[in-house]
Amino acid sequence: MLRHCISAEWMKLRHSYIWIILMILPVISVLIGSANFYMNQGVLTKEWYSLWSQVGLFYGEFFFPVLIAICCAYMWRLEHHNKNWNMIMTAPVSTNSIFLSKLIVVGILMIFVQIIFFILYFLGGKLAGITGGLPGELLGWLLRGWIAALTIGALQLALSMRIRSFAAPIGIGLCAVFIGLGMYVIHLGLFFPHSLLTTGMGVLSQTSLSSGENLLFIIMNLLYIVVISTGAIYRMRKSDVVA
Amino acid sequence: MNVVNLELYKLRHKHLFLMVALFLLVEIGWAFMASSMSVSRNPDNGGWEPLIAMLSSMNGLFLPILSAICVSRICDMEHKGNTWKLLLTASVRRGKLYAAKYISASIIMLWACMLQVLAIIAFGIINGIGQSVPLFLLIRFLIGTALTNMIIIALQQWVSMAVKNQAFALSLGMVGGFLGLVADLLPSGVRRIFVWSYYTGLCPITQSYISEKMQFIVRDISSLLPVAAMLIVAGIVIYLAGSIHVSRQEV
Repeated sequence: MLRHCISAEWMKLRHSYIWIILMILPVISVLIGSANFYMNQGVLTKEWYSLWSQVGLFYGEFFFPVLIAICCAYMWRLEHHNKNWNMIMTAPVSTNSIFLSKLIVVGILMIFVQIIFFILYFLGGKLAGITGGLPGELLGWLLRGWIAALTIGALQLALSMRIRSFAAPIGIGLCAVFIGLGMYVIHLGLFFPHSLLTTGMGVLSQTSLSSGENLLFIIMNLLYIVVISTGAIYRMRKSDVVA
Repeated sequence: MNVVNLELYKLRHKHLFLMVALFLLVEIGWAFMASSMSVSRNPDNGGWEPLIAMLSSMNGLFLPILSAICVSRICDMEHKGNTWKLLLTASVRRGKLYAAKYISASIIMLWACMLQVLAIIAFGIINGIGQSVPLFLLIRFLIGTALTNMIIIALQQWVSMAVKNQAFALSLGMVGGFLGLVADLLPSGVRRIFVWSYYTGLCPITQSYISEKMQFIVRDISSLLPVAAMLIVAGIVIYLAGSIHVSRQEV
């Protein structure tokens, strides 16, 4: 059932040109980050690490969470149109499958975005003339970034499901970015979805997480995903829809 | 006027003014926290000028996104409800409809600018800034911010109306916010091309480093007038292009 829902979600994304948005935002953050790195090579001497601090800052801190928010709002947009809520709720699929299929599709799209970001980061570094090898933590940053993206995705999906407006959940997401930044600053980075992304991707501090922190990171993400998804699915099952 | 009233009437349950106020609360809270921290580190930075400069640089990030959200909500309700045909059969010209939506978005964003000015005054008085409230500077800040907002609204409205998928309009808002944030790092020739850079570009206060120390300089009004005039012309061009393009689109 879930497999059918996922393929239905893919079909809904056809002709949406969402891939353009998924490409543009990483391109801009890498372009400006790399240009800044190139111009300040005198100060930024730690090669790939310095480049990551430049490109990752805007991408991980602002673009990526908003990109996830836009993507999630788009996933529900069709449901809020043309009385489609009635259609989807009467379809012979469970509410679990409806929500989870959307989360899985967002997850797949985010893998795509992370891969593009990695390619752009690599190309940016090579064009800026970095000769050393890629940092060992890179895979961890990208992977943890993706896991945190799933958490933010679950949160944004729940918001966009509940709020009919396309833009309002994105605005809430942006406010959450700043709350997350505040949480990170007061060393509570592992306890809020948006600051989990900051911590996981190592955008503000490139020191790698200890194994205990890694474990806590994964537990917190799983906890958020499970709690938010369960809440959203429960709500979908119990409350009446407004088509 | 009637059309504008109707637009605002349609928005009455969307709590747009409240949403703007809440969004600004985050921005203002962030800006004032940063400002307090900078004053505690360097007491010379206490005063109205750093406060205005701080908020105008934060505006570069927040207001383009807030404008995108407001405009998108105002335009998307017609896409979502399939009400374009209905509106046009009410024998309203599309140009007039476009103008009404533009004016209502501008009113909402003007509310945002006024809230900021009030917040600056309140913060300044509570923190006991010695000098008297610089009303003239605040009015210049209000006009500069509102003007930049209006140009950005024209651009956002064009995209929100022409492209049904609001993801594009919001992405433009996001890119705009990013450019507004990094505008001051760009060379001045490049910076002037981007409308999002004018939150700091039209701010009456400018920051500069003189012998490794941050200085806040009040800009001469005559130096800002040509920039503002150029921006207004650009805004009119964007508005007309959007209005004409959308009017000719098939519904």
